[in-house]
Amino acid sequence: MKKINILLAMLSVAAITFTSCKDDKDDTSNSGPAQPGTVTLDLTNVAGTVNVDETGATSYTNSSGESFTVTKLKYYISNVRLLNADSVVYSLPDGYFFVDESNQASTKLSFPNVPGGAYTSIKFTLGVDSARNVSGAQTGALDPANGMFWTWSSGYIFYKLEGTSPAATGGITYHIGGFRDANNTNAIREVEVDFMGSSLQVDGSREAEIHVLADVLKVFSTPNTISIASINFQMSPGGNALLIADNYAQMFSFDHLHNDH
Amino acid sequence: MIPFSLVIVLFPGSCHQQFVAFAHADHTLSHGIDGLLGTRNSPALFNIAWYPSFMWDGGVNHLEVQPLAPIANPVEMDESIANVIVKLQRSLTYQAMYQSAFGTDSVTTQLTMRALAQFMGSMISANSKYDKYREGKGALSSQELNGLQLFRTHCESCHAEPLLTDMQFRNNGLDNTFDSDPGRAKITNLPQDSGLFKVPSLRNITLTYPYMHDGRFQNLGQVLDHYMSGIKQSTTLDPLLSTGGISLNPQEKSDIISFLETLTDQKFISDKRFKEVQ
Repeated sequence: MKKINILLAMLSVAAITFTSCKDDKDDTSNSGPAQPGTVTLDLTNVAGTVNVDETGATSYTNSSGESFTVTKLKYYISNVRLLNADSVVYSLPDGYFFVDESNQASTKLSFPNVPGGAYTSIKFTLGVDSARNVSGAQTGALDPANGMFWTWSSGYIFYKLEGTSPAATGGITYHIGGFRDANNTNAIREVEVDFMGSSLQVDGSREAEIHVLADVLKVFSTPNTISIASINFQMSPGGNALLIADNYAQMFSFDHLHNDH
Repeated sequence: MIPFSLVIVLFPGSCHQQFVAFAHADHTLSHGIDGLLGTRNSPALFNIAWYPSFMWDGGVNHLEVQPLAPIANPVEMDESIANVIVKLQRSLTYQAMYQSAFGTDSVTTQLTMRALAQFMGSMISANSKYDKYREGKGALSSQELNGLQLFRTHCESCHAEPLLTDMQFRNNGLDNTFDSDPGRAKITNLPQDSGLFKVPSLRNITLTYPYMHDGRFQNLGQVLDHYMSGIKQSTTLDPLLSTGGISLNPQEKSDIISFLETLTDQKFISDKRFKEVQ
């Protein structure tokens, strides 16, 4: 009977712990090595301080002072890796993700069975590696039926932004891709998002969510200033596509971790 | 094996007709739906399993994604692959065919494109009079043999045997400005590729008129006249043509055409496996 009482007491302590909500929890109070768990990368498309409204009903202003709306926003994320404090890399399997603002489920990328431990940053590729661009008909996220494949010049569109703007009749059509170094058309970009001193604890069923913002305003501003009046239409690899690619590489920023018991 | 009827759904025989070796007869520029004319001539379809790239500008890099190009082109089929797959998914007939070919009745883009690639890869033309001569199973006439000799001297460096193309991209002197169609440069963005187009195979050439990427020549006489006296100089003109054209007397010209006629493969163009399903 005494044993059962102790067990009950332990369970109630555990229940209190599980129901408490603490962000950025760093302690690993339970003993034993951390267990593998599921990591979620939650991407939120924003325009500055507000979430992107893909219905085209909301106007934003870019760094050139031009007003615009967003009607389509889609991109490919691949080759996702987690890094720990010693810069040891864990590559997350199941490689290609089609992030489509019109399908909110697609903005949450889930990775099961990540080795337990503490991670301090995440790396990924915006785009699709050259091998998959030359290997015939693909399926899943890379299905050409997703409308992210150029049929006249085989290859994936990595980033698609469409919208309206008084700065350009015809609006904004940015379809950015290209994978050939030899032709100077490589728009594949590496991204690293550091957790700013926090660490993501992966341990069994413990929640491990990384919240990252993707700011469409930066696509017009950082590091290259892109005015809609000068570039409103880019639908082929090379040239201005590379300027926009350098910008989308900079659009991601760390927001917060959800790391509750 | 997916029957040809699948191909017909996606890849209509009206653009690639069997009696002209799966090129498009009757129009200079191949037309699509609504009578819109494209900018380029439908290439003939055979022996493409050996090709490293497809289309006149080599823009398509894999046989499995080749059919996506005409499906999406507004002057060709103006259809989205997503719609095509939905149509196929609704068909019990196709579900059964996918089950027997792939072991699943789930119709996907990937399986559909693989079926088409298998079909297109099976379209092999290698039974012409010229092939029988090469195999030692048939003879060429003395005029045809003379034509073959002239061909090997003047043409074979680009139209390499036995496929009768070296599959490279070359500027054969049709134009000296390329603004309306930059050809290979449209794909590579390289100025040195301006005005370059894929060297086509000359197999079944008597059937595949009109000629050149834009279909500007109606007969082989006009084509040879171009190589004899029509070469236009430009910075990207192929070095093999930059010293001027090919020199041929009227008899030699007629001998070459006589040889080119031996490249027609009657067995291929009447092969029932490739026949359009009615």
